[in-house]
Amino acid sequence: MDLLTHWLGNAPDFAVPFALAALGLILTERAGVLALGAEGLMLVGALAGIGMQLGVGVAGVSLLVAMVAAGAVSLLFALMVLVLRINQVIAGLALVFFCQGLTGLAGTVFGWTNRPVSGLNTVELWPLSELPLVGKIFVQNPLVYLTVLIFIAVVWFLYRTQTGLRLRAVGENPQAADAAGIPVLTYRLAAIVAGAALIGLAGAYIAVLSTKMWIADMTGGRGWIAVSLVIFARWSPWRALAGALLFGAIEALIPQLAATGVRLPQYFVLMTPYAVTLLVMIWVALGSRESASQPGALGEPFIREQRR
Amino acid sequence: MFRNVLQGTVCAAVLLGAVGNAQAEGLTLKAPAKIAMVYISPRNDGGWTQAFDEARQKLETELDQKIQFVESVPENAAAITPVVDRLIARGANVIIGTAFGYSDTFLELAKKYPDVAFLNGSGTTNAANLESFYGRTYESQYLCGMAAAAASKSGKLGFVAANPFGQVNWTINAFELGAQQINPEATVNVVYTGAWNDPVKERAATMALIDNGADVIGQHVDSPTPQLVAQERGVHGTGYHRDLSEFAPKATVCSSMWVWDRFLAPELKKVIAGNWQPSATGALLSMQEGGTDISLTKDPIISAANRAKIEAERAQLLAGKKILYSGPLSDRDGKERIAAGQVMPDADLWKMDWFVKGVKTQQ
Repeated sequence: MDLLTHWLGNAPDFAVPFALAALGLILTERAGVLALGAEGLMLVGALAGIGMQLGVGVAGVSLLVAMVAAGAVSLLFALMVLVLRINQVIAGLALVFFCQGLTGLAGTVFGWTNRPVSGLNTVELWPLSELPLVGKIFVQNPLVYLTVLIFIAVVWFLYRTQTGLRLRAVGENPQAADAAGIPVLTYRLAAIVAGAALIGLAGAYIAVLSTKMWIADMTGGRGWIAVSLVIFARWSPWRALAGALLFGAIEALIPQLAATGVRLPQYFVLMTPYAVTLLVMIWVALGSRESASQPGALGEPFIREQRR
Repeated sequence: MFRNVLQGTVCAAVLLGAVGNAQAEGLTLKAPAKIAMVYISPRNDGGWTQAFDEARQKLETELDQKIQFVESVPENAAAITPVVDRLIARGANVIIGTAFGYSDTFLELAKKYPDVAFLNGSGTTNAANLESFYGRTYESQYLCGMAAAAASKSGKLGFVAANPFGQVNWTINAFELGAQQINPEATVNVVYTGAWNDPVKERAATMALIDNGADVIGQHVDSPTPQLVAQERGVHGTGYHRDLSEFAPKATVCSSMWVWDRFLAPELKKVIAGNWQPSATGALLSMQEGGTDISLTKDPIISAANRAKIEAERAQLLAGKKILYSGPLSDRDGKERIAAGQVMPDADLWKMDWFVKGVKTQQ
């Protein structure tokens, strides 16, 4: 029973970075820009957040600065794919390598590596936090609750506002959107920067609120998991949130099982997240026969008056 | 009979070529020694590489010469070779590497430059002018286990480990054997993270161990995360690589730390004097030979009696009077692993995949 309580209590902490990064990716990709750079932008957010936290020490400011920093770096990506129309896969990969090098170097030069920071205190959602078994789910740092609100806001924006409709139109059929008078490149630029800000927030969550320190390459491939999460969620924010919770739950379960001293096959346990990904992929593929909800123009550069 | 053996040895030496012959009288440098180090990470990484950089500064004083270094050289031939080529072109004739992943490239470089002395920390390859070295970390981790049990109220210790390799498993067993010296009932729960340096996984592992009642957390991972989490949760821990009380002063009661200068200073003096003979199997350094040592807290959480016990064991190890993996020793399933009067050979140490009684791990 203790296992269940601790496990459920720790799961949101692991789920939030996946959820925020996936949401940022969905926002960008809904506008038709294939964003593979999440791993790099998360590192930028993580480093900027830690730098700010070491300097000023106000977590809210650090998280905002992390979002701005990731947004600023994404301008480089926007320049490559929107203006120079470089292949979006290559530009995305280049962005990851660039950010890995940049953050590794900056972290070393400024001496931010391994320096512990204070995060944020947890907030209890009373009386939910008094519930048996699941109570610990409602004792989290404020950004966990805020993530839910961010999801509601982004979904509302994408599906309930005219701007959101236009953004999706740009991703589905930029020529038609252009004919309707929507500035395609402006929308795509905004989607890239806004998405990057959310991805940067995901990175800052890991560094500032979860591990409370910086180490080069500390995101450890979580940006790539977010990329696959988006595909598996078929660009739906709620499904991405569910996927993030699933991954977070598994990541939280592995050490909890190990710590109880149950003798399980070690390599089997470490394999579980990947095995579960495969199973869910198969289940999703078998379960739904509806046409893929991938944005129609995903990965295609927009050139006015060019035939598709 | 003896003659045959001798002939065999001579044949082997001939097969090894001219380089092999040089081994007999020791490597002679062609010019005054000029030492350079190649680091795998930035020099202020807080752990492995920083320990080497601290040793470098001590060596500079002791050997009275500047020692160059190159930082963040990744573990592939395409990255290592040009760096070492350039160092040698600029006159360096003693190259010290710092990574397991440099092993194969260093062997090739050692053949390419037979007049240059190569040393490689945590490497696996050796030659007439190349020596790999590593520490018997189980000795210092044994002392950390003693300190952990001394600081523990519950007798339930936790251990955050990277991967179930021989040199990780030997520290876990040693940690438990040390803990039993203080509290025969002490147990160690182990969580493997599957990564050497992933603060997210290390945090999760530490939290899980504390959730399950552990009140002192040992570690064999690269980042100080387990110590930071221990401090946050108001429990204690023991560090690895360096004195981690730098990061978690309230939590860290003891650290296993590298003291490479104690090994490298005499070794480099031999290189300089021209009578260096690299070990054919690599140097696996005991505390006496200068691999590791501990840094023990002054905190009264460790009682004077226990402190005396730890210091006594440390003195034994430093004097080379104690061999930890000697028989009789059985694993947790009751199978005898080292017979009475026997000492475990190094080859078996590297393959250790069994645990002593009191260790709880996954399989």
